[in-house]
Amino acid sequence: MLIQSVSGLEVLKKRIEENKEKLSQKTQVIVHEGTCGFASGAREVLETLKKAQKNKGLDDLVILEHSCIGCCYIEPYISVIESNGRKTLYGYLNSDKVNQIVEKHFIGGQVTQEHVIDTDIPFFNRQEKRITDLLGKIDPFKIDDYIYYDGYQALGKTLQTKQEDVIAEVTDSGLRGRGGAGFPTGVKWNFAYQAQGDQKYMVCNADEGDPGAYMNRSELEGNPHAVLEGMAIGGYAIGANKGYIYIRAEYPLAVETLRKAIDQAKEYGLIGKGIMGSSFDFDIELFLGSGAFVCGEETALLTSLEQKRGTPRHRPPFPAQKGLFDKPTVLNNVGTLSNIPIVIRKGAKWWSFIGSESTKGTKVFSLTGQIERPGLIEVPMGISLGEVVFDIGGGVPGGKRFKAVQLGGPSGGCVPAKHLNMPIDYESLKEIDCIMGSGAMVVLDEDACMVDTAKFFLEFDRDESCGQCLPCRRGLPLMIDILEGIVQGKGKLEDIDKLKELATTVQKTALCALGQTAASPTFSTIRHFRDEYEAHIIQKRCPAGVCAGLFETRCRNACPIHQDIPAYMALVKEGKYEEAYKVIKQTNPIPMILGRVCPHPCEGKCERRMLDDPLAIREVKRFVADYAYEHGIVYNPPQKNPRKDKIAIVGSGPAGIGAAYDLAIEGFQVTIFEALSVPGGMMAVGIPEYRLPKKILQYEIEQIKQMGVEIKLNSKVDSLDKLIDSGYKAIFLAIGAHGERKMNIPGEDLQGVYMGTQFLSQLQAGKLPDIGKKVVVVGGGNSAVDCARVARRLGAEVRLVYRREECDMPAILEDIKAAEEEGVCIDCLSQPVRILGNGRVQKIECQKMELGDFDASCRKKPCQLEETEFTLKADTVIESIGQVPESRTLVQSGIKAQRDGRLEVDSYTLKTDKDGVFSGGDAVTGPLTVVDAVAAGQRAAFSIRQYIDGEALDPVLARKDPERYIVPLAPEIEPQEKAKIQVKENDPGLRVRNFEETLYTYSQEEAQEEAGRCLRCDGGKTNA
Amino acid sequence: MLEIIVNGKKIKAEEGSNLLDTCIENGIQIPHLCHKKGLSPVGVCRLCLVKVTGMRGLVPSCCTQVSGGMEVITEDEEINELRKTNLEMLLSEHEHNCMTCESNGTCELQELVYQFGIDKIRFPVNKERLPIDDSSLVIIRDPNKCILCGRCVRACREITGNNILEFSGRGPRLAVTSGLNEPLNQTDCRSCGACVQACPTGALTEKPARFQGRNWELNKVRTTCPHCGGGCQMELWTNDNKIVKVYGVEDENTINKGHLCVKGRFGMDFVNSQNRLTNPLIKKNGRFEEANWDEALDLVAKRFKEIKEKYGNDSLGAVASAKTTTEECYLFQKFARCCFGNNNVDFCVRFCHSPTGVALGRAFGAGAMTNPLDVDERADVLIVMGLNLAENYPVGADRVKRRVKSGKLKLIFMEPRKLEMSEYADVWLRPRIGSEVAWINAMMNVIIREDLYDREFVKSRTDGFKELKKVVSGYTPEKVEKISGVPKAKIIDAARLYAKADRAAIMYGMGVTQHSYGTNSVSAICNLALLTGNLGKKGAGVNPIAKQNNGSGAGDMGCVPNVFPGAQPVNNPEINKKFEKAWGCKLSSEPGKNLSTMFLTQGAVKGLYVMGGNPARSGPNLNKLRQTVEDMEFVVVQDIFMTHTAEMADVVLPASTFAEKDGTFINGARLVQRVNQAVVPVGNSMPDWKIISQISNRMGYEMNYNHPKEIMEEISSLTPPYGGISYERLDKGALQLPCPDKEHPGTKYLWKDKFNTKSGKGQFFPAEYADPAELADEEYPFVLTTGKSLCHMHTGAYTQESQILSGLSSKDFLQVHPSDGQKLGVSDGEAVKVISRRGEVCLPVLLTDTVDEKMVYTTFYSVDIAVNLLTIDALDPVAGVPELKICAVRLEKSTN
Repeated sequence: MLIQSVSGLEVLKKRIEENKEKLSQKTQVIVHEGTCGFASGAREVLETLKKAQKNKGLDDLVILEHSCIGCCYIEPYISVIESNGRKTLYGYLNSDKVNQIVEKHFIGGQVTQEHVIDTDIPFFNRQEKRITDLLGKIDPFKIDDYIYYDGYQALGKTLQTKQEDVIAEVTDSGLRGRGGAGFPTGVKWNFAYQAQGDQKYMVCNADEGDPGAYMNRSELEGNPHAVLEGMAIGGYAIGANKGYIYIRAEYPLAVETLRKAIDQAKEYGLIGKGIMGSSFDFDIELFLGSGAFVCGEETALLTSLEQKRGTPRHRPPFPAQKGLFDKPTVLNNVGTLSNIPIVIRKGAKWWSFIGSESTKGTKVFSLTGQIERPGLIEVPMGISLGEVVFDIGGGVPGGKRFKAVQLGGPSGGCVPAKHLNMPIDYESLKEIDCIMGSGAMVVLDEDACMVDTAKFFLEFDRDESCGQCLPCRRGLPLMIDILEGIVQGKGKLEDIDKLKELATTVQKTALCALGQTAASPTFSTIRHFRDEYEAHIIQKRCPAGVCAGLFETRCRNACPIHQDIPAYMALVKEGKYEEAYKVIKQTNPIPMILGRVCPHPCEGKCERRMLDDPLAIREVKRFVADYAYEHGIVYNPPQKNPRKDKIAIVGSGPAGIGAAYDLAIEGFQVTIFEALSVPGGMMAVGIPEYRLPKKILQYEIEQIKQMGVEIKLNSKVDSLDKLIDSGYKAIFLAIGAHGERKMNIPGEDLQGVYMGTQFLSQLQAGKLPDIGKKVVVVGGGNSAVDCARVARRLGAEVRLVYRREECDMPAILEDIKAAEEEGVCIDCLSQPVRILGNGRVQKIECQKMELGDFDASCRKKPCQLEETEFTLKADTVIESIGQVPESRTLVQSGIKAQRDGRLEVDSYTLKTDKDGVFSGGDAVTGPLTVVDAVAAGQRAAFSIRQYIDGEALDPVLARKDPERYIVPLAPEIEPQEKAKIQVKENDPGLRVRNFEETLYTYSQEEAQEEAGRCLRCDGGKTNA
Repeated sequence: MLEIIVNGKKIKAEEGSNLLDTCIENGIQIPHLCHKKGLSPVGVCRLCLVKVTGMRGLVPSCCTQVSGGMEVITEDEEINELRKTNLEMLLSEHEHNCMTCESNGTCELQELVYQFGIDKIRFPVNKERLPIDDSSLVIIRDPNKCILCGRCVRACREITGNNILEFSGRGPRLAVTSGLNEPLNQTDCRSCGACVQACPTGALTEKPARFQGRNWELNKVRTTCPHCGGGCQMELWTNDNKIVKVYGVEDENTINKGHLCVKGRFGMDFVNSQNRLTNPLIKKNGRFEEANWDEALDLVAKRFKEIKEKYGNDSLGAVASAKTTTEECYLFQKFARCCFGNNNVDFCVRFCHSPTGVALGRAFGAGAMTNPLDVDERADVLIVMGLNLAENYPVGADRVKRRVKSGKLKLIFMEPRKLEMSEYADVWLRPRIGSEVAWINAMMNVIIREDLYDREFVKSRTDGFKELKKVVSGYTPEKVEKISGVPKAKIIDAARLYAKADRAAIMYGMGVTQHSYGTNSVSAICNLALLTGNLGKKGAGVNPIAKQNNGSGAGDMGCVPNVFPGAQPVNNPEINKKFEKAWGCKLSSEPGKNLSTMFLTQGAVKGLYVMGGNPARSGPNLNKLRQTVEDMEFVVVQDIFMTHTAEMADVVLPASTFAEKDGTFINGARLVQRVNQAVVPVGNSMPDWKIISQISNRMGYEMNYNHPKEIMEEISSLTPPYGGISYERLDKGALQLPCPDKEHPGTKYLWKDKFNTKSGKGQFFPAEYADPAELADEEYPFVLTTGKSLCHMHTGAYTQESQILSGLSSKDFLQVHPSDGQKLGVSDGEAVKVISRRGEVCLPVLLTDTVDEKMVYTTFYSVDIAVNLLTIDALDPVAGVPELKICAVRLEKSTN
C-alpha cells in the first residue's frame, strides 16, 4: 500500500488503532528479545510460553516478540499486559519459572509475586524515556506499530515545512550530536544545506564500537523506524535524496530490523520516490561495516563507504562541505537521528525543556561494569553521575568500594568518586578531562586497577588504530611499553613524565579523533589515580590485585601483612596444622587475634568468589591458631643473632606489636613503652571480650615477650630526646588513636554521657557504673556497634543513632547484622542535636536527616531536615563518632602532625622528620584495622633495620618471603560449586546474656573441607 | 595571488595551493616526510604541523589550503618539541642502519634527525625485523627502513595507476605490501621505480645501484631519455664512468614530471655493456678484424669514392638513425648530399611513420604531432588506436590511466588485441586487424548522419567536405560491422563520444601506419579530426606516437629523400640554391631513393652507409632484404653494438651512446631537449658527428666542428622552424617547435589559426577501404602481427644489451589464443614453427586471450629469432611503408 499524501498517513493510523483496540482485549505477553535477551535465554522462554499456550489452550493469550526495554540485568524477562490494564514485569526467567507463571497468572489470574520485578525503583522511575520509549513497546518488524505511536508524523509535518524552518527547529532545540563530540545538529545541517552540490548525502553512523557501548544496537533493534524517519527529515532539510546507514556487521539483529524497516517504509512510500505524494525523493541504503573501530570516525567511515581502506583524512574540508564522494554530507549518530522525529513532532520548545543549561534533552547510556543493575538507560542531560550509578544503577555490588566511572570508552576518561555530583553534560565533563562519548558508562570498583585500565584502553586503540599517522601508530605502543613496565614492577617515577610527554604528543599531533583522544584514559587515570601509579612504581604493588606480575596470588596481595594463604590452606587440607601455624606465624605475630577481628580483605579478592563464595580465610586461620593454642604448640620464627642496638616502641597496640615482632626476629633489643596499665592498646581497651577474649590477647602478647621484647606498662613517654639519650637508636611511635571526637552539642557534659573508647575501657577495667535501662549510642563505626552490643549485654535497651543510611555504616557488615539480631535498634538518618537532662542524662533530642550530594566516600551527605526533631529517652548516651591520635606531647618533641593530631610521616618508609623516629598505625592514619596497624609496624621495622644499618630507606618493602613449606600441588582439576562452610554461631538470645565469644571455630573436618576449597591460583608454587 | 603572514612576515601565495608548498617556495622550511609535491597530501607524518590563527590545535600544513590573510606560525618551542618527539618515535619504530644504506646522504629522515640534533633514541626499538623483499631485479624493499609515509603507495596509485603497492594491516602492524602480499616480482609491477623515487628513506632502493657508490660521490647530469619518443627528462647519476642510477627530473616544465618507465630508470646499463664496439672493424676474408681509426676511415672514404666514380652519383645510399642526436642527423644528411651527391638518404621512418608524414603533411601542411605529448591532460576524450600505449609509452599511459580513473577523461581504445588499456577504456573497439579505414569512415558516417560534426569548423577551415561526405556515406555501421567485426552499436557509441566532446584527441601508433594502405588510414584519422573541429586547440589534434627518441629530429633534419632540413623540398630550385650556397657544393634536386627501395630493390645502390638502425631485423621479408644487401659492393655500419645489420657490413665503426655525447633530441611532439654528456666514450668509440666529419673530410668535403653547439647554430640558420633554437635557450628549458626566432616561446599546439596548406585550410582526403595485401586463407589460416614490449625497443639491438631489461623480459613468445592452442595441441612454452610464404621461424608459444582467435602476435627483440623473415614486402604506394603488421602464416607444432 502506498501512502499518497500526509492525510493518507492519518487514515492508515486510524485503521491501525482499531486493530490495536481489538488486541487490547486480550492478555498480551511480550517476550523481550534483544541481543541481550537471546544471549540469556529469551528463546527458551518463548518456546516454553508457546508450548504452554498450545498445551493449555490459552487462546486468549497473545504472545508478542519485542525488543529489550533496557533492563538487561533481569534477562530473560517478559511483560504482561492484561485487558484490565494491569502490567506486570517478570524477570530472571527460565522454563520452570515461566511454567509457574503460566499456571498461576495466566490460568489462575494471580500475579506470580516471586518472579515480579519491582518497577517502582529508580531504575525505572528516574529515567526519562524519549528515544527509548518505544523500545519493547513495539514490534520492530512491524511498521504499523511505529505508526500507531505517531511514527512518520514528523516526516509528514516536515514535508509541509520549508527546509530552512526544519533546520531552524532542530537548531532551536539545542540538539547536539549524540555520537560523542556534541556538535550542534542544526548547525551541521545548515552547513550542508548552504553547501553547493548537485548531490548531497545523509549518512547514519551506526558503527558503534566503544567497549561497553550498545545504545545504538538496542535503539536499532527496538525501533529502527525512528532513524529512518530522522534521516528522511534530515535529507529533506539539507537537500539530499540519498542516505546510507553504515552499520557494523556484528549487529545481525539490528541489520535485520533495519532491512525490514526499509522495505516496509518503501512499501508505504515513506521512503523512496515522491514520499507521501510530495516531490521529495529519499532513498536509504544499508552498508555493513566490517568491524574496524576507526570507521566510526566520520571521515574514515565515509572513506570506507566509498569502498576504500577505511582511514581517516584531515579536516577541513568537513563532510558537510566535502563528504561522501566529495559531496556535501551530513553524518549523524543513531541517537541523534532518533531524536529528530521527536524534535519535529513535539517542537523545539517542548524538546529542550529538559536538560542542563548547555545540553538539552536526554541521553541514552549503557550502564555496565561493576554495577548492581546493568542496562540501557535514558536520563535527562544534567543528571548527576552519582544518581545514575547509585540510584538508577543501584551502586556497586558485593559491598565493594566504588572507584570510578569510565565514560566515553577509549576516548574518554575516568570520573572518580569526588566528581559524583557533577552534572552529566558536555561542558562539565570537559572540565575534568572527560567526554560524554557515545554513552558507554563502565563502572569500576576497587577491584579495578587504574594503570591496567589505562593500558587496556591504549591496547584497544593500538589494535584499532589505522596506523597511517605516526603518533598514533608508534606513540600508543610506546605508551603501552611504559605501562607494561609499570605493571610488571619495572617502572620508574620518571616514566610517568615520559608517559605524559608521549600522551601529549599523541594528543596534539595525531590526525584523527581516535589518536587525539587515545591518551585521554591515561591522562585521566594519572590525574585522578596517581597514587595507584606510584604504588606500582614505588612499592611494586598493585593495590587492586590486577597486575599479575606484581604478586603471587590476589589474596596474599590484598593481605596487609602478606600472609601466605595458599600455603597454609594446603597444609590445613592435609591436616598438617602445626606446619600451617608456622607458615602463618612467619608474617603474623597475632594469628589468634587476627583470626577473630581481621576484616579479611583477602576474602574479597579470593578467586573462588567467581565460582561460589570466597574462601573463609579468616576462619581457617583462627582454627589453626586456636588449634596451636589448645595443643600447646608454640612457635616463633627463628631470630637472627642478637644485636646490641636498642629500639624503643611507644605503644603496645597492634602497630607496636607488629614492629616489635619483626625487630625481635632481626635480633634487636626492643622495649615497648605503654602508657596504660595493660598491654595491647585498642585491642585491649577497644575490642570487647565477646569478640576478643582477654586471655587470648594476653597469650599472644606473652609470646612476643618470649622473643625478648620488654613491655613497660604505665610508661608514658614525654620526651623523645630522653629516650634517645638513654641509648635507643631508633624510636617507633605507635600511639594509636585514643582521643575521642566529640559532637560538640549541648549536654555532652552531663553525667551518663560517655565517649565510646572511654566506655569500653572502663568496662574492660571493671570500673563501669550502672548504665541504666535505656542506652543511646551515636555513630556507625565498629566502635559504635561494639558499644551498642556491649550495652545490650549489660541488659540495656539500645538504640543506635546514625546520620546516614544503614548501608552507609562503616562498621563490618556481619557485626551490624549481629547487633540487630541481638536487639539493637538502629535509627538511621538521625542526628542528635542536644542531650537533655538534669545533671544526669535523661533524653536525647535528635533530628531527621535527608541525603544530599555525594561526598568523597561515595556516600550521600546527610543534611538536616528542619522541624523533624524527635526525642529519645536515655539513661546513658555513648558517643562514638571517631577517634584521633593524642599527639600533643609528641608535637612538642618536634614531631609534625596534622590538625586532627595524625602524625606526618613519609608514606612509604614511615619515617618522621625527626632523625631515627618512625611512626605508623592509627597514629598516622586515624582509626583503621588491627591488621593495617600490624602491617604498619612491620613496615616501620623494615625501615628501622635499614636505618640502623646505614642503608638508604627503600620505599619498597622487601617482603621476606617466608620459608615456605613443600606444599603438595593438588588443585582440583574441575572445581565443583561448593558453598563456604559457615562457622557456628551462638544464638542471639543467648549471646546477649554474657560476654562470651559469639562465634565458634571450625572443627578439624570443617577446616580441612573449607581449606580444600582453595583453588590454588598460586599454581601450587613452592620453593622445594 | 593571495597574501599570507608566516612567522610575522608577509608572503605571496597562489590561490588553492597548500601551505607547505607555499612556505617552501618562499624559503621557509617546514620539516615533512609524507608530503611530496605531485602526490596528494595526506598529512600522516605529523611533522609539518603548524599553528594557524583561528584554527583549533595544530594543523598539517601539507593539508591546509592557503587563504587570504592567514596567519601562520611554523615553529615555536611547543611545535619543535612535538616534532622532535615524533621523530624520536619514528626512529624507534625500526632499526635504522645508515651505515650501508643506499640512501645515506639523500635520506630525508636522516637529514631531519640531524637538523633536530637527535643523537640518541630515547624510546626502545622493539619491533621485529621484517624480511627484505629483494625478489625484483631492480627494486629492493626493506620494510625495516620504511617509515610508512605512504609516498610509494601514492606514487604507485597516483603516478602509475597500477596499485601494486598498498597498505596492509593496521596500527603497529601497518605495512606496505606488494600485490596480495607477494614478492614484488610475482606482482604486475612494471618496475618503473616511481616508488623508489618517491621514497624518502632507504626502504625502496635501486637494486643495481647497490654498493656502486655513495650518493655524495655520484656525478649528476641531466639529459634526455634515449629510449622512446617521450623525451623524458632524467638525471644520470654516475660513478667511475658508469651510470649507477637514474632519477626522473621532477620539474613542472618537463613532460614526465619525474616519472620514468622501466627502460628509462633501469635500462641504461647498455652504455657500459661488455659488448660495446670499442674499435673499428674491417671485414677481411669474411671475418672482422680490429683496425685503427685512420685505417678504417681511409678505407671507407676510398671505397665510397671508388663506387661513386664507377657507378655514378646515384649509386650510394645513406641510412640515418632516429637514435642519434639532431645535430648528427643534420650532419649525416649533409654528408650524404654533399659527399655522395645525391638525395639517397632515409631512415627507419620509412618502415614505421612515413604514412604520417605524408597524410598529415597533405592534410595540414606538416607531418608532426599536432599537440603536445601530454595532450591527454587537457582532453575530455581520447582515442588511442593501433597503439600499445602502456608498453610503448608507459609514462604517457600512466598519465592517461590516472586521468581516466579520476573521471576526467573518457578513453576510446581501438585495438585488435586485449591490452592493459582495454581495461581503462569507456569504449573498446576490437576490430579485425587491417580494417581501420572502414570503421573510421563508419564513425564519420554516424557523425555526419547525426549532425554531430563541427559545421562552423568544416565550413571555415576545411576543403573537400563534399567528397568526404560522399565517400563515407557508403560506410554505414551496419556494413562496417561485417568488414571490421566491430558491433555497430560500439561504432556509434565511439562516434558519439568523440564527436560530442569539447576536446577530443587522437593518439595512434604503428598499428595504423605499418600497412600497405597506411597513408589512407592516417588520412581517415585526419578527416575525423577535421570533421569534428578537433584541431588547432588544446586537448585535441592528431597525435602520432613516435617509437624512437629522435625520429622527429631525423625527419626535421631532412634525413629523407625528398627534403632538406625543415621540410624544404630538394626539388625547389630556390631552396636548393640556398643550401648549395650554405654548404658550398653542388646539390642534386632529384628526390632520392627511399629505404624500402634501397633495401628491397636489387642493385638500387652499390654502396651503403648505415648510421645506427637495424633494417636487417626491422625490415620486411628479410631473406629478400638480406640478399639485396649482400649484393652491394661496400657497406659501412656505424653503431654501438654488432647488430645483425652490422654483421653484414664491410666496415663497422664504433659510435658513442647518448650518455657519452652532447646534442639534442626532439621528442615525438616537437619538443627540443638537450642531451648532455655524462660519461666519456668507452674504448675508442667516437660520437657519430665526429665520425661523419672525419669521413667527410677524407672524401674532400671539409667539416670542422668543435662541438655540436656549432652544428645547432648552423641548423637554426638554415631551418626556419629551428630559427630560435640555441643551446643557451635550451639549457634553460625545452623549446617546442616551430620556434622560428630568438624571441619565439615555442609552439604548444599546431594549426591554431590556419593550416600550412596552399589554401590555408585543412584538406579532407577521403579514403576507401581496401583489404590488406595478404589475408589469411586455408593454407595460411592465421594472421601474424608484431609489436614491441615494455622492456625492449623493437629489434632489441641495444635493449638486449641491458642485462636488466633482458632479465625482466628474456625472450619473444608467440601469443596464441588458447582455443587455437588447443586445436594445435600446444601448451605454454612449447615451440611452434611459424611459416609464411616467405620464410619460417620457430617461437615458443604463450597461450593468452590477449589475441583473438586466428590471430597470432609476437615481439621481435630476441637475438636468435627474426620474425621479419615472415613479413611481406608489399609497400604503401604513397609512403613506401611495408605491410609489417599483417601477413598470413600457418603454425606447425615443432618437432625439435
